[in-house]
Amino acid sequence: MLRFVAWRLAGLVPVLGIVLVATFLATYALPGDPVLVMLSDHSSNVEMANRLRAEYGLDQPLWKQFFNYIAGVVVGDFGMSYRYVRIPVVEVLSDGIKISPILALAALAAAAAIGIGAGILAAIKRNSGVDTAIILILVAGLSIPNFAFATFFVYIFSIKMGALPVAGWGRIDQAILPVAILAIPSAAYIARLTRTFMLEVLGQDYIRTARAKGLAERVVIARHALRNILVPLLTSMGIIFGGLISGTFVVETIFNIPGLGRLAIDSVFARDYPVAMAIVMLFTAFFVLINLAVDVAYAIIDPRIRQRMGVK
Amino acid sequence: MRVLAKAFAGFLMLAAVATAADAKTLRINVTGDPAMLDPITYSELVAGRVLRNVYEGFTDFTPDGKIVNVLAESWTALPGEHGFRFNLRKNVKFHSGRAFTAKDVKYTLEQLAAPDTKAGIGAGYVARIVGIEDVKGGKTKDLSGVKIVDDHTIEIRFTKPDVLFPIYPIWFMDSGIVADKGADWVRTVSAGTGPFKFKEWRRGAFVEIDANKDYWGNKAKIDAVRFLVIPNGDTALAQYEAGELDVLDVQESTIRRVMRDASKEKERQVVPRAQSRFLAMNPLVYAPFKDKRVREAISLTINRDGMIRGFYDNAAFQLHGITTPGVAGYFNDLPKPKYDPEAAKKLLADAGFPGGRGLPPIDISSTAVFKDELTYYANELNRTLGMQVNVNVVERATFIRAMNAGEVAFFPWGWTSGYPDAMYYLEQMWHSKSPYNRGRWFNAKYDALIDEATATVDDAKRFQLYRQAEMVYIDDVGAAPLPMVAAIALVKPNVTNARATPFGFDRFVFAEIK
Repeated sequence: MLRFVAWRLAGLVPVLGIVLVATFLATYALPGDPVLVMLSDHSSNVEMANRLRAEYGLDQPLWKQFFNYIAGVVVGDFGMSYRYVRIPVVEVLSDGIKISPILALAALAAAAAIGIGAGILAAIKRNSGVDTAIILILVAGLSIPNFAFATFFVYIFSIKMGALPVAGWGRIDQAILPVAILAIPSAAYIARLTRTFMLEVLGQDYIRTARAKGLAERVVIARHALRNILVPLLTSMGIIFGGLISGTFVVETIFNIPGLGRLAIDSVFARDYPVAMAIVMLFTAFFVLINLAVDVAYAIIDPRIRQRMGVK
Repeated sequence: MRVLAKAFAGFLMLAAVATAADAKTLRINVTGDPAMLDPITYSELVAGRVLRNVYEGFTDFTPDGKIVNVLAESWTALPGEHGFRFNLRKNVKFHSGRAFTAKDVKYTLEQLAAPDTKAGIGAGYVARIVGIEDVKGGKTKDLSGVKIVDDHTIEIRFTKPDVLFPIYPIWFMDSGIVADKGADWVRTVSAGTGPFKFKEWRRGAFVEIDANKDYWGNKAKIDAVRFLVIPNGDTALAQYEAGELDVLDVQESTIRRVMRDASKEKERQVVPRAQSRFLAMNPLVYAPFKDKRVREAISLTINRDGMIRGFYDNAAFQLHGITTPGVAGYFNDLPKPKYDPEAAKKLLADAGFPGGRGLPPIDISSTAVFKDELTYYANELNRTLGMQVNVNVVERATFIRAMNAGEVAFFPWGWTSGYPDAMYYLEQMWHSKSPYNRGRWFNAKYDALIDEATATVDDAKRFQLYRQAEMVYIDDVGAAPLPMVAAIALVKPNVTNARATPFGFDRFVFAEIK
């Protein structure tokens, strides 16, 4: 098991390497010289521009800038922010890094709990009124964009009822709306998957056997049916988490949460490339790590996979 | 017993929460984090919003543009030389508790010139001090043009006349701060004399400043100001509506909603901005602009009243020439630009381009904020004058560089003043020697009048020179004046004296929360 994890972690290096090269070249190719953005109205001041260029090493040839950057990243130094005077990128990220993953994970937990519950319920009550109602809600949850939900919920819960804050981060009540909005499409997606998988499993012979030997329906569902759909569900969780991480961009902007998503957007507009690049790297790392976590979870849930991995 | 103790602890916590809620903190939105929080590298708007409450200079100005003495008690021109002698206010203390003296004034001016400080806006204000080049070049750290006479008297000499020096927003800082707190002092403290001092900056969330209990003047009536970082204009408006903000600086994207909402009328403040807007016509890039009749025809084609109603829901002001209301040297009786399509057609025909025939096609360019306006001008000029105008939207930094280099032919733009005197606009925007004369309009008479004004200490005389220069610009159609978009603020009814001004908000030392 450890060897497997180590092997996968090693695989992270080439992935991050490719992302690093790609983002470096992409930011270089974008229009808008960061030094001119820093100087704004004073961009005709050649003396000042040259001084800034030298200070950030932007006067050096591209290959040299690239190697300097790589050399820094390897030891965890992502350089200095262009936008915040004299503040290292690592420090600019230090607050956001505590927020976005938590937001995405909380949304994932909420989506999984609600989605799996609703999916099972719909499957058990197949073709009933409950099933139809759940499907209707699912379609709405999947097809209405989250910014529309956000506007509607803020209007109802914050402005009309005054029950929840409009925006911000730091207290529990400030997290309710963003997590809910972020979780809605994923919850709907998980519910739909669960329902489909569940219906398939419920038709299997071993379920009939379980029922025939007189097990309670609750036990049949929880121990025999649910356990068998967990592996395909987990596979989709990895993908869903990726979607949630990118969903934080929108939700953090709407709810004014100082996380990595909003910071990424602000940094691109301010041409603060070192910060934007570091965030892309971080998100890539999250994505790879969550997939690793999914693979490890397979092994825990399914003894057959554990065996295939050569783990006892 | 344990239950009692617990209950008591709970009560204490409740009490603590209640006191925190009683503390009067004014909450206001800003569009982004400040890029810095020290008066030397200070170079952008959000930082200015915060720093204006924390640091002080020789003078300050009221919401209607009147100059008031702050750290300078008085000053006199040095006889026979370019320069001033300042008498500094006594009994002023920095946030550190140290006394403010002439040494700190000299230190600040030297820091603004030092080669390793990346000085911001302030660097431009010290450019005429004697000896500045030697400090900038790293030859010396001692600024020879600044002489400390005694603790509360200082003389400053210039290479050229600089009559507005006393009103420049140069904010003085504590010369002992680096020795005391290290080069990184700005992370933890502020080094000013102002009515508020730095408390906390949570990046992406807020900057908070606390009332300075030892302030030398009338102390703040609130306990703190919290500048909440809210980049999205709609979120900010929703937060104001839900009572999470006391003062809202209304963003462009929500102007229409705010202006059309009758229920907000009592909370609304609409004031002119200290920003001169114009449609520039660069004769060096597009030859037909050399002819005054072509420039005038274009100006006559713009329906400014229509723009103010249609584009800005009446939250805009029509400019007559260059200067804006609320700035010293502004005259409201200068002739207004006219809208007269028929006269415009005739002028263009007189210039040799009847119905636009013979005019080469031209791009009208600017940044994305001006997108709607650009389309309007292009359409109107094509319909009325038969000019073939293409709309060209350019990325901001690229566009500013091109404008500064004089490469752009035809563009709407604005220029925001740094202090409440019309000289800022008149000299920087249209003097032929200014690096910011982006339209490259040039008029020797205008230059001569401005040169004379820069050396005229007497305000009334100087303003008359401004007036004459502005008339030269209007007569010669240096550019077509455009409507200036108002600054709009919403202030909750329980908050008083939080006033929007042409230069952002007034200092919050006067604000009260009931």
